[in-house]
Amino acid sequence: MSGQTAIRIEQLGKRFGAGPLVLDDVNLSIETGEFVCLLGASGCGKSTLLNLIAGLDRPTTGSIDVPTEGAAVMFQESALMPWLTARQNVELALRLRGVARSARRGEALELLDVVNLADAAEKRPHELSGGMRQRVALARALAQDRPVLLMDEPFAALDAITRDLLHEELERVWRRTGRTIVFVTHNVREAARLGQRVVLLSSRPGRVAGEWRIDSTEGRRIESPEVAALSIEITEQLRKEIRRNAA
Amino acid sequence: MPHDTVTELSRVEEGAQHPSRNPDASNPQPGFETPLPGSSTRGASEHDDLRSLEAGLDRLQTSPDRAPSAWRRFTTSVVPPIVFVVALVAAWQLYVVVAQPRPDIVPGPVDVFNAMAQAWESGRLQLAVVTSLERGVVGFLIAVIIGTPLGLLLAEVKPLRRAVGPIISGLQVLPSVAWVPAAILWFGLTDATVYFVVLMGAVPSIVNGLIAGVEQVPPQLRRVGTVLGAGRTRLATLVVLPAALPGYVAGLKQGWAFSWRSLMAAEIITVGGTIGFGLGSMLNQSRELADIASVLATILVILAIGILIELVFFAPLERRMLRRRGLLQGGTR
Repeated sequence: MSGQTAIRIEQLGKRFGAGPLVLDDVNLSIETGEFVCLLGASGCGKSTLLNLIAGLDRPTTGSIDVPTEGAAVMFQESALMPWLTARQNVELALRLRGVARSARRGEALELLDVVNLADAAEKRPHELSGGMRQRVALARALAQDRPVLLMDEPFAALDAITRDLLHEELERVWRRTGRTIVFVTHNVREAARLGQRVVLLSSRPGRVAGEWRIDSTEGRRIESPEVAALSIEITEQLRKEIRRNAA
Repeated sequence: MPHDTVTELSRVEEGAQHPSRNPDASNPQPGFETPLPGSSTRGASEHDDLRSLEAGLDRLQTSPDRAPSAWRRFTTSVVPPIVFVVALVAAWQLYVVVAQPRPDIVPGPVDVFNAMAQAWESGRLQLAVVTSLERGVVGFLIAVIIGTPLGLLLAEVKPLRRAVGPIISGLQVLPSVAWVPAAILWFGLTDATVYFVVLMGAVPSIVNGLIAGVEQVPPQLRRVGTVLGAGRTRLATLVVLPAALPGYVAGLKQGWAFSWRSLMAAEIITVGGTIGFGLGSMLNQSRELADIASVLATILVILAIGILIELVFFAPLERRMLRRRGLLQGGTR
């Protein structure tokens, strides 16, 4: 571990207008290069927290420290520009980052190669499968060249086979690029499969309700017994949190 | 790197287990090798596995985009309307032969064709077509130049749209012929009158099309633009405007239709002065001569030009745009 803190969240609270508290006293510090999964049921404010970290929204109380370079974000829907090819979509991110025109093409193709899509560079989003689109979105997020990558349920809409492959892909990219990744999901197995640390958020309001650290994450797969064991443990805690809402 | 030691350990194991697969296994002391994070041989071979796996899945999940062949497009979209028109003319001719109506009220297709040929020989037809087409195109282009920035402004500045939007929509409902009397009083019998009426017809359509297009831009595309670091201007030019293109093109198409209609209305009503001889004037002249064959011939020419512009200009533009975005039926998924 490099030990440097990439994201520090202190006593964070968020409410929209006069509505109820969405996030309440969230404290979290994420180290540089760490892979953290934020897990929770609906209404736990996962996406709100991610938007706050991304700077798309402002906290009501408390503070968030993020690297000055900011964060790249990937959403559930790939949100690729439908009129641009895969390469041009990546190039758009490079252009908005300020990369010179002459360097964009080569760099975009390199990034597409990182996600194994060099052959599909000239295809438009509608010609790509859901998994391929998310990989283009990943390449685009990498093109932003920010130290932090925020992912908001990026694989939720994919079929299981594709998702499994993308887990491997993401893990490989993470190891290769050393990005700090905050991965939001409501899928316990996914969190146990991917994260070095799994943070469970309670619902209404969202609070940190549990935390698990996984020491060795190398060679994990969705069907690994340690992933299953961890999933059972987390699910139990998650159900406890959900049940509290019944009362 | 958080995983260096782990990588190293498991790499040694792997190397021992799969000597055939791992080129590094020939190394007698793999454990002493300097670890290269992220580029270990184990990572590389696993990466190759993942690569081929992903390539296979990609192939399974996509099908090649087949643009319909030119011949197929010809048979499906060109032949049917031609067949229909031929049938219509045949039915018309049949009616004239069987029912024998008065030729000064219901002329046959041949009479209309002769009237057209006559107008062509005298040069009046060419003159009228050129005059009208030039006015229509110039008027439409002016409408585009005025309507586009106006539409963008209204789409992006909310208070302005709330104030002006309903009036623009109302103007679209108002038949632009209604402006002809006012225009004659303001500009006299000049080309300015014609252009004014054309603009009042076309500009609201273009503005409304653009506003509708901008409103239909998916919010996540704007969000992505912001996340990627686009400011207000670049968000508008690089994201919003291209995303709004389908609505804009639809507005342009309607704007052209309104231009052409308004032009004909203006030409029929305003005759004389310095106004040139257009198709509308020709129509009016034929009416004064009670020459029904010429009237019908002129109507057909006006209709044909409208269809031609649509087919030659707007239809390919729209088809190309929709196909690129995968919005056309018959494209892939």
